[in-house]
Amino acid sequence: MKSLAGKYLSMKREQMHYGWQKAKRMKTCYLFLAPYAILFFTFFILPIASSIYFSFTYYNILEAPKFVGLQNYINLVLQDEVFLTAVRNTLVIAVITGPIGYILSFLFAWFINELPRWMRTLAVVVFYAPSIAGNAFYVFSILFRGDVYGYLNAILMQFALIDRPILWLLDPNYMLPVIIIVILWMSMGTGFLSFVAGLQGVDKSMYEAGYVDGIRNRWQELYYITLPSMKPMLLFGAVMSITSAFNVCDVPRALAGYPSTDYAARTIVTHLFDYGFSRFEMGYASAIATVLFLVMILCNKAIQNMLRKVGT
Amino acid sequence: MTQPINKPARKTRGDLLREQMILRGEIIQDQEPAGQKKFLIVSIILLLVLAAIVAFSWIRVDLIESQSLQGLELPRDAEYASFYKLAQFLGIVCGACYLFYAGIRLLAPRRRKPNRSIWGDLGIYFMLAVVAVAMAFPLVFSIMSSLKPLDELFRFPPRVFPQHVTLDNFSDLFVTLSQSYVPFSRYLVNTVFITFVGTAGHLLIASMAAFVLAKYDFPGGKTFFNIVVTALMFSGYVTGIPNYVIMSKLHMIDTYWAIILPAFAAPIGLFLMKQFMEGLPTALIEAAHLDGASEMRIFWSIVMPNVKPAWLTAIIFSVQSLWNTNAATVIYSESKKTLVYALQQIQAGGVARTGQAAAVTVIVMLVPITIFILSQSQILETMASSGLKD
Repeated sequence: MKSLAGKYLSMKREQMHYGWQKAKRMKTCYLFLAPYAILFFTFFILPIASSIYFSFTYYNILEAPKFVGLQNYINLVLQDEVFLTAVRNTLVIAVITGPIGYILSFLFAWFINELPRWMRTLAVVVFYAPSIAGNAFYVFSILFRGDVYGYLNAILMQFALIDRPILWLLDPNYMLPVIIIVILWMSMGTGFLSFVAGLQGVDKSMYEAGYVDGIRNRWQELYYITLPSMKPMLLFGAVMSITSAFNVCDVPRALAGYPSTDYAARTIVTHLFDYGFSRFEMGYASAIATVLFLVMILCNKAIQNMLRKVGT
Repeated sequence: MTQPINKPARKTRGDLLREQMILRGEIIQDQEPAGQKKFLIVSIILLLVLAAIVAFSWIRVDLIESQSLQGLELPRDAEYASFYKLAQFLGIVCGACYLFYAGIRLLAPRRRKPNRSIWGDLGIYFMLAVVAVAMAFPLVFSIMSSLKPLDELFRFPPRVFPQHVTLDNFSDLFVTLSQSYVPFSRYLVNTVFITFVGTAGHLLIASMAAFVLAKYDFPGGKTFFNIVVTALMFSGYVTGIPNYVIMSKLHMIDTYWAIILPAFAAPIGLFLMKQFMEGLPTALIEAAHLDGASEMRIFWSIVMPNVKPAWLTAIIFSVQSLWNTNAATVIYSESKKTLVYALQQIQAGGVARTGQAAAVTVIVMLVPITIFILSQSQILETMASSGLKD
C-alpha cells in the first residue's frame, strides 16, 4: 500500500516537473498572454471574486467593508419583497425570450440558408439590425404610447376594439408583455450570425449521402444531418442567448420607467443598479449580482447537457 | 477570348442521383427555362389587369368620399362604394401574393434539392417575408418619423410615411446641441477617442493572446480559454458594481481609462480570433520556426496578415460596443461624457423634443448598421469558426 502511494506521489512529482519544464520552455507564450491575462484578471475575474466577497459584508464605499455573514442573502430572500418580484419578472422574461429567441434565430438562419446570395445578405441585415441599432428601441415608446397619439392605441381605436387608450407602459398588466415583445425583436444577435455562418459551412456531401439513405423531407434532414453538424455553433448561441435573456436592463428602464409602476417591470439587474448606484449599498448589490451569476452558470450547464443529446 | 466548345457540365454525385430519382419517378423534374418565359408573360398580363382594377376602384372610392364629405351630388355608382372598396382590397392582396409567388419561382435557384416540396418552400418564404417586414418596421418607422415635420408627428390617426419630407428635425438638433453647456464637438471627440484607443488596444492585446492560445499547447492555456468562454456571460451589468469599486481604488473613476481598459479585455474578441486562428495550418508556423523566425515575427508577419477577417470582426464588435457606451456610471464630468449620453439627454427632453429625439435615434443607429453592412461578408467568414467544442 505504502509503496503504491509512494509510486503515485513520485509519478505525480515527475509529471509536475515535466509540466514545469514545458512551461519554462514555453515562456514566450506566457509573455504573449500576459497583457491580456492581467487586464482580464483585473476587470473580469477580480470583480466576480470581489463581488462574492462583498456579498458577505456591509459595504458603502465610504467605510471599510464590515463582515455580516449571510445577512445580505437572508434579507434578500426574507425581507426584500421587491427582489422577489424582480426574480419573478426576470425568470418570466428569461424563460420566454431565451428559448424563443434562440429557436427563432436558428430557424430563420436555416430558412434563409437556401436563398440566393443577395437575398440572404439582405435578410441577415434586416434580422440582425435591431440588435445593433443602439437605443432604437425607444421607437416602441411611441408605438406603445399611452395616449391616442400612440400608434397601437390609434389602430385599435379606429377598429373600435377599445373605446379608450390603454396605458401600455404604465399599467402593470401590460408592461411585461410589451417588454417581452421588444426583447424578442432584438434577440437575433451574435448567435444568429454564428448560425448563418455555420449553416453555410455544413459539408454538402453529407446532404447528398442523406438523399441516398432515404431522407424524405427537410425536417428529417434538419434533425439527422444539419443539427448534429451544427452542435458547436448551437453551444455558442446558447451562451449568447442566456446572457441576453438574464441581463435585461436597458429595455425596461427606457420603456417602463425606473422605478416602474408597482415595480411591475423590475428585473434583477435594475434592482442591482438601484442598490449599487442609487443607494450605494455595495454589499447588498453584490449579493444580488452573485445570485444572478450563479443562476446563469447553472442554466448554461443544463443547456450544454441538453444540447449534447441532439441528433444522437 | 477562346470559349471551350461543347465542354460537358461538371456533374456532381448529387446531380447523378437526382437524375436517377427523376427516372424512377420519385421526384418531379425542374421547370424548363422555356416555360419560365411563358410564365413571365402570363404574370405580367395578370398583374396589369389587377393593377387596372385596383386603380379604377381607388379613383371611384376617392371621388365618392370627397363628394359626400363636401355635401355635393353623388355620382351614379355611389351605391357600389363598398363593392369598390372590397375590389380594391382583394386586388392588392391577390397582387401581393402573386408577385411573391412569381418572385420565388423566378428568383429561387433552378437547381432544387430533391427532397424539398414547393409548397413548403412557399410557406417558409412567405413567413420569412412577413417576419422581415415586422422586424424592419420599427427601424423604418424611426427613420420616417425623423423626416416628418412637427404637425405630422402628432397626427390623429397617425401615418407611417411623411407627406412633406423635411430635414428640420436634424437642423433643430444641431441648434439645440450648439446651445449646450459643453460644445457638441467635445462629445464627439470623446466618443471617437474612446472608440479608437479602446479598439486598437483590444485588437493588439487580444490577438497576441489568441495566437498563443490557438497555436501552442502550453500548461494552463486550455484552462484559461475555458475561463474566457465562461466570461462571455459576464455582461457589464454583473461586474458593474465591483468594477466601480476597483476603478475607484485605481483612481480611474472619471477618466477615459475606466471605459477603455475593460474594453481591452473584452472576451468576445479573443474568443472569435482564437477560434479563427485554429483554422490556420500549423505547418505554416512550423516552417517559419525552422527558418529561424522569432515568435513576434511569426505573429506579426505571418499570422496577422492571414486572419484579416477575424481582426476585422473583432474591430467591428469592439467599435459597436464602445460607440454605444453611455458610461454614465463611471464618468461624471460633463466635458468627458460620450456622444450617446448627450443624445440620450436630448431624447429625455419629453414631448417638445419628439422630432429631435427621432433624429437622434437615427444618427445613433446608422453608424453600427452601416459598419455591419459594409463588412458583413468578413464577419460571416469569422463567425463560421465561432462554434464551441465540448
